[in-house]
Amino acid sequence: MEIAARGLGTATSRSGERLLGVAALLGLGLSATLSLVVAPPDALQGEVQRLMYVHVPAAWLAYLSFFVVFVSSVAYLRTSRTRWDRVAAASAEIGVLFTALAIVLGALWGKPVWGTWWTWDPRLTTTAMLLLIYIGYLAVRRITDNPTRRARWSAVIGVVGFVDVPIVHLSVVWWRSLHQQSTVLRLGGPQIEGSMLTALLVAVGAFTIVYAYLIAVRLRVGRLEERAAREALSPRLGEVEEAAR
Amino acid sequence: MHDLHEKHARSTVTAVELNAVTRLFGANPALVRADVRVSPGEVLVLRGPNGAGKTTVLRIMATALSPTYGHGSVLGFDLVRERDAIRRHTDLMSDRTRLYEDLSAAENLRFWCRLLGVDGADIQAALDRVGLLEVAGERVRGFSQGMRQRVAVARTLLRRPQILLLDEPYTGLDAEAHHAVDDLIREASRDGRAVVVATHHAMQRGLADRVLFMDGGRIVRQGEP
Amino acid sequence: MSLLRHAATIAAKDVRAEIRAKHAIATLLPFAATLLVSFGFAFGPGRDVLLRTAPGLLWMAVLFAAVIAARRAYQIESEDGALEGLLLAPIDKAAVFLGKAAAVALQLLMLVACALVLVVVLFDLTVRDPLVLAAAFGLGAVGLAAVGGLFGVLAEAARTREALFPTLVLPLVTPVLVAGVRATDLAATGRTDEAIVWLGLLVAFDVVFVSLGVLVFGFLMED
Repeated sequence: MEIAARGLGTATSRSGERLLGVAALLGLGLSATLSLVVAPPDALQGEVQRLMYVHVPAAWLAYLSFFVVFVSSVAYLRTSRTRWDRVAAASAEIGVLFTALAIVLGALWGKPVWGTWWTWDPRLTTTAMLLLIYIGYLAVRRITDNPTRRARWSAVIGVVGFVDVPIVHLSVVWWRSLHQQSTVLRLGGPQIEGSMLTALLVAVGAFTIVYAYLIAVRLRVGRLEERAAREALSPRLGEVEEAAR
Repeated sequence: MHDLHEKHARSTVTAVELNAVTRLFGANPALVRADVRVSPGEVLVLRGPNGAGKTTVLRIMATALSPTYGHGSVLGFDLVRERDAIRRHTDLMSDRTRLYEDLSAAENLRFWCRLLGVDGADIQAALDRVGLLEVAGERVRGFSQGMRQRVAVARTLLRRPQILLLDEPYTGLDAEAHHAVDDLIREASRDGRAVVVATHHAMQRGLADRVLFMDGGRIVRQGEP
Repeated sequence: MSLLRHAATIAAKDVRAEIRAKHAIATLLPFAATLLVSFGFAFGPGRDVLLRTAPGLLWMAVLFAAVIAARRAYQIESEDGALEGLLLAPIDKAAVFLGKAAAVALQLLMLVACALVLVVVLFDLTVRDPLVLAAAFGLGAVGLAAVGGLFGVLAEAARTREALFPTLVLPLVTPVLVAGVRATDLAATGRTDEAIVWLGLLVAFDVVFVSLGVLVFGFLMED
């Protein structure tokens, strides 16, 4: 755990953050080039299919973020160190955005391809449930301004929610398998052509770097917020020894 | 000084101690750098206006709240790490009597005794001591505040806790209940058990050993009652 | 084991208080009944539609009732600060979770029995395999009670945000809803072997959430 914490510290230092920012920009540039220019349009779906290069990375990040929320929540519950709560909260805030993005793009992509906005596709449906669980997590953080309570409660949601997601997914998959549609289209098409796969993987990688960068920024903002709150408080407290956090 | 306390962690020379304990609720400092020491058998009174931090002190001692900064111990057990041990030996009485409306007085006591690890054989005797034997089988819903507080006193009598914490115990009580609370304090002190009381009321002469005055979350001065 | 003993004490206290207060009879039952009748108006009067939607509507009613029952389980602890008494008792806090969840599960089972009668009457539902049906509702009640019993304690502390509790609970219990409705539908039409799979999912859900609850409940109670 200490190794992870030290790695986290390096990655989110000022210079680490700047490095991530540059890498993110480059990654996005490369990804955009590959997905919009280099990769060919889909044989069946046409240009609309290019939404995949944003939709799939966004969905990947939705789940990666929640995994990070889960790991940080467990770490917080075991160590009571606020840094893990900060990471969990940052990841949840960023994750909810990517989850919403994934769902909206899924619907936008689905309308021209399937003819409807929503077909209860198992993966999209599970992602929608994930969004609701994220929202629950963020809502719980607003109940109390007692920082320890807020951290503990949201950590519990983070753990319980994450464990629930696979069960939800399983139930939705079985549920959907009852009603085989006449045309079952995988969003990516039955086979992915070589250059499209490359573009997709680059997109996933680029988005992951963007995620790391956003986390670093959010953590720094979080630290500043806490310092400001402490300084606002200190005249009333005299010198209060800062508990090792 | 703190190292010494660490070494004698299990010493019972001090029944309760708080070391520079601060408690924040969000941005609100309810308690600031409180230093308190209570000896066994001592009756300590906390006085001060509303919001002075008296309730916070008691609740931290009871482990209902944890300190934001600072540390402390009760009977040598750490406030944060050894809460269950503290809870076994500490009783916090406040104007909230923790009774279930639809259960009778006896049923309430039986329930709490089971959870608190107290033998339920003396429930009738305890209710008798507080003058509630005739209504032992009646639902608490119909009880006055004074009667409820007496049930709480009966519960504490059964527990015989090493540390007795009372938060405004006299509020809304009739004379009988008032006496019951005083008896509780007197008996505890006589047995060498520590008592901390937060109250606006004047206490009976000779009951209190020491007074701490609080204001704005700080302990402002100490005095004789 | 003292954990189970304390849980039993708390569950017994909840059940006794509930029998005396008659909250379930006075509030839960009429609520479920009204809901089912309203569903009848909303989806009827065609018998086919009602018959097809009967399992789903029944489970919706149970779901909403679970939210109400779980809220209520912790409301009674606020009446006179009893929740703090439970916190300060030298017991494993998981006993509070188990005891309360058990009491809520019991209430839900009573409710299900009554709601089932109502649905058979109103929607003309026939049940070919009552054993599977009973298992589905039994397991479902445990799952709903576990989630409700876990987060109900938050609802008490966050009384200003009334809608938070259902918003938290409902997404998490989706597997119970899906599996329960499927199993009920299959039990009604007598396809037992297909129903077993769904019952298995319910068992898994119950095991996971009861274990999780025991592990994390203490964190929700402490301050």
